[in-house]
Amino acid sequence: MKDKSDIAQELLEIIERYINGSMTSQELKDFNQLLELDNDFKVKIEDIKTMLLGIETQSLKEQLDEFHKDIPKAIAQNQNKKKFEFLNFNKIAVAAAIIIAVGSIWFFNTPQNEKLYAKYFTPDPGLPTVMGTSDNFEFYDAMVNYKHGDYNIAIEKWKALQEKKPENDTISYFLGVAHLANKNEIEAIPYLERSIEAEDDFIFLDHAYLYLGLAYLKEGNIELAKKHLSLSNTDNSKELISKLTD
Amino acid sequence: MGETLHLLDQSELVDAIKSNDAIVLKNLYINNYHKVEALVLKNSGSVEHAKDIYQDAFITVWNNIKNNAFTPKNDTALQGYLYTIAKNKWTDVLRSKAFKNSKVLNHEVLTVVKDEDFDEIDDDLKNKKLKTVMAAFKNLGQPCKQLLSTFYFDKKSLKDIASELNIEETTARNKKYRCMEKLRTMVLASK
Repeated sequence: MKDKSDIAQELLEIIERYINGSMTSQELKDFNQLLELDNDFKVKIEDIKTMLLGIETQSLKEQLDEFHKDIPKAIAQNQNKKKFEFLNFNKIAVAAAIIIAVGSIWFFNTPQNEKLYAKYFTPDPGLPTVMGTSDNFEFYDAMVNYKHGDYNIAIEKWKALQEKKPENDTISYFLGVAHLANKNEIEAIPYLERSIEAEDDFIFLDHAYLYLGLAYLKEGNIELAKKHLSLSNTDNSKELISKLTD
Repeated sequence: MGETLHLLDQSELVDAIKSNDAIVLKNLYINNYHKVEALVLKNSGSVEHAKDIYQDAFITVWNNIKNNAFTPKNDTALQGYLYTIAKNKWTDVLRSKAFKNSKVLNHEVLTVVKDEDFDEIDDDLKNKKLKTVMAAFKNLGQPCKQLLSTFYFDKKSLKDIASELNIEETTARNKKYRCMEKLRTMVLASK
């Protein structure tokens, strides 16, 4: 080893950074250049490297003796550990089973409903719009928007119209199906509920029950869905009921 | 604990060893000892021999990993490597003159063989220096030893060391430097 006097604190720290690889690329470049030029410097670096390796190796050696004391114990502990892990595994299994159970109720309920809903829901085609029926202009104007899929505009227009004609079941019905087509079953339900309170000869009654049933299905309320679907005399509702009863 | 080690893949294991991760080192040490002990006991060795050979092999593996001289090729490569090195080391002991000549198995034999073995692998001078440093560090005062070991082996930051010792970071930094100088003086003196 070289003289002890000529390794300054800063130099030691620079060398440490060189050894543990935390130098910037520029520093490293300069450092390597210095190593090539200055042989004394190189020797110094090697000495410090050896010092650091010696400290680490001796530290490890002393740790190994500590580890060694734990060897017979470790075997006993391993067995305990296994038992412990096994118990733990049981707990995990129970927890997993619960999660799976709850998860599948959620999974098979909601998305299943959504799937059925998606399968059986097609927006009401609406009414044919004939130009010139001026007495019902506002109603058919909204119907054009509805047929174009501009549900928000149609809803606004029908809402305005409904304020003028609050007793009109047809407007309630179309407001319901427009909301439903607009993927808003929560808004749709009250309108559809109102439309099924119409007289028995209400032309859209069967469809009102069907869409109300579908709205409840989407909302996740199977009982109400079934109840309303059963009141609807359409092929779709009969098919859907048999699926829901399965 | 053994489970943890198996879950680490080999490259993670290598990284953990490079950073002297105490838990990983301990796992590796404990989980692979019995195989080596069985080998040594079956081949005319004692439990003491087994421990010495195993620790020697362990340090060699650790050092080779540090120097990137070992690259794992399969899931249990490192564990296999450790066993192979221990086995080779023990074979060297068995073949050695010192072992054959000695009627009583004792520690001396192993120490002599290990030195020869070491010299074959590394160049003589470097190894001598390393041994000098190790001996000096072994005898260094406890506070310095603790500080240097925590910094260079456990690789804790000066900041963490300072807060553990309840001192300023600059104080820790100066202490570390003084301890290094102390160690250097001891190394130079023992030359």
